[in-house]
Amino acid sequence: MSSLPEIILIMFLLSSIVLVSSSRLVHCIQLVALQGVLLGIMPLIFWDWQSSAPHGELVFLAIVNIAVKGVALPMLLILAMRRAQVRRELEPLVGYALSQLIAMLIIAGCFAGYRHLIGAAATNSALLAIPVAAATMLIGLFVIIARRKAITQVIGFLVFENGIAVFASGLMVHHGAIVELGILLDVFALVFIMGIAVFKISREFQHIDADRLNTLRDRRDPESPATPAGYTGE
Amino acid sequence: MELVLIILLPLLFAVLALGLCRHGQWPLRLLQLGAVCHLLLVCYVTLPGRAPDLVSFHGIDLFGLDHVSRLLLTLTSLLFACVAAHSARWYPADRLLGMKRGHGHSLRPGLFVACMLSFLSMMSMVLVARNLGVLWIAVEATTLASAPLIIFHQGPRSLEAMWKYLLICSVGIGLALFGTLLLASAFTGAHELSPGLNLSALMAARHELNSTWFKAAFIFILAGYGTKMGLAPFHTWLPDAHSEAPATVSALLSAALLNCSFLGIFRFVQIAPPELTGFCRTLLIALGLCSLVVAAFFIIRQRDYKRMLAFSSVEHMGLATIILGLGMNNVAYVHLCGHSLTKMMLFLVAGNIYLTYDTRVVHDIKGMFGAIPRTATLWVIGVLLICGTPPSPLFITELLLVTQAPLWLGATVLTLLFVVFCGMASICLDMVMGPRPETPPDSEAVKAAESLCSIPALAVVTVLAMGTALIFFIESSQWV
Repeated sequence: MSSLPEIILIMFLLSSIVLVSSSRLVHCIQLVALQGVLLGIMPLIFWDWQSSAPHGELVFLAIVNIAVKGVALPMLLILAMRRAQVRRELEPLVGYALSQLIAMLIIAGCFAGYRHLIGAAATNSALLAIPVAAATMLIGLFVIIARRKAITQVIGFLVFENGIAVFASGLMVHHGAIVELGILLDVFALVFIMGIAVFKISREFQHIDADRLNTLRDRRDPESPATPAGYTGE
Repeated sequence: MELVLIILLPLLFAVLALGLCRHGQWPLRLLQLGAVCHLLLVCYVTLPGRAPDLVSFHGIDLFGLDHVSRLLLTLTSLLFACVAAHSARWYPADRLLGMKRGHGHSLRPGLFVACMLSFLSMMSMVLVARNLGVLWIAVEATTLASAPLIIFHQGPRSLEAMWKYLLICSVGIGLALFGTLLLASAFTGAHELSPGLNLSALMAARHELNSTWFKAAFIFILAGYGTKMGLAPFHTWLPDAHSEAPATVSALLSAALLNCSFLGIFRFVQIAPPELTGFCRTLLIALGLCSLVVAAFFIIRQRDYKRMLAFSSVEHMGLATIILGLGMNNVAYVHLCGHSLTKMMLFLVAGNIYLTYDTRVVHDIKGMFGAIPRTATLWVIGVLLICGTPPSPLFITELLLVTQAPLWLGATVLTLLFVVFCGMASICLDMVMGPRPETPPDSEAVKAAESLCSIPALAVVTVLAMGTALIFFIESSQWV
């Protein structure tokens, strides 16, 4: 239980736990960057080195992965954070201690469920990626729900996305370099657009609390019209 | 190669609109030129008897055509051409009236056109994709291309709608990616050489799928692409985005984009192993019925006419899913086509009403027949057609659905359709009937709205012709 793949997976889980319990956004972004780097080297570590050296495509993808998820995306996030002038998530909807507890419960639940499904002892350490991926995805979704700031929701989405990527690289899903590059490009463009949106929201509302974005809904009471005539924006 | 061109050509025009010709009338001209070129190219590619080559790269099938993608590609290109033609006069009118009413700036023409064209390009890519990974990338890219279009009228409400659209759809599509990966690993146990994510290879090898993995994959796919398609209970972003976006954009979002997400689900139904079709169909019918219930509930208590149209899209996507769940694929395609054409027309007409009255609250609009007779007539006809009044093609598909489904399902669907009809008819009557308002709407706005009726009228004629032809076809081929 102490080979390199397992150590990487455990580091991944630990970074998720620390992420849900930290209030400083810079810290969260650094942890996401760490996860990105871990993700980049994961395919190389899961590779069967005894039989052959990894082919060039794999190394290339690892480098691109580290560059995008470990460097470019965190830089975009930090830029968006500075533009929106937020440093901390001050009043999360779920407190930090409770968040940490919930994250641990999610991890325990995923491993228990995995045991239940697969059987007593998992021999292959690559299969261990399945509960780790599931737990990371759930923790990402939890961050999206439990935090107010729009930028923390972007961080939560990235954690969720990282969980999916852990699944792909852990099971060595073969989907070709072009598809993998396309997925990376999509994620990059998405975070870019979300960063612009965070900036626009902060300029328009003077806050980026996503839970206060609640004017659009179906309601019937005439006091609060569903559509105020005209736009209030200047 | 033509298929690559179908995707690259609109992108090229988008770059032109963003880079070189962003001033004056140029961007809108580029939009029309791009739409027409795309339509011609699509017509050429989908000519009967022509089979474009499969585009592959390093063993990955990228693009190809089958009968579904032929149909939906033609439909999408046609819809986009209509919307582009409408935009030519709608965009200046909207901008002018917006300035006059002090709504602030709308999106710059260059950016608007660039986003529209790249949206078209990405939708074409969804429709011609022959690899599930490429399909996923394209669906995600449609979200990215259309998100800036939602904040066309830059205000807090549209920003909120855009944020919800981005976040909910991205998480949803993330689930679809997980589903796709689960499917790819459904083979790894049984097979030394996995078929990857190529559609044709997966279809050929579908008997060797591990059924547990496939079930898990299908659930994630349904939740993922279902979010993008607006199936309840994952539909929450849809009414906000469709009602806050400007008329032409909501027309495309509702008429073209929902079909693309439908294709995502449909591809997985195609590769379902035979023993699991029952499982897939049950899930599809359950989700479709859920959407129908939610849509019916929200339409009867609706007070915003664009949200009403958005919920009507949820309803029709639910119906299409139920029809797919009953295994009547051809009927589902007809339903999608009928819905797309009618809904595009309705959203364009709703845009005219918004231009005239500057509000989306049903209570504030009275006596449309007096003020804007052409728009009012089109609005009534459109609402009747979308509710499935004969000879709408939707009437025929709904009739086939009710007659082919088991009794309980048919009865439930019929009841819900009746509820939807009541809700939409009462809203529509509230708006068109009644006395003229004391303060008549701005005469300039009335003129603009009344001059924007040619494309919707064309769509109405097309839908009526299609429905009539369909009635004769069914009369002569099946029921005799």
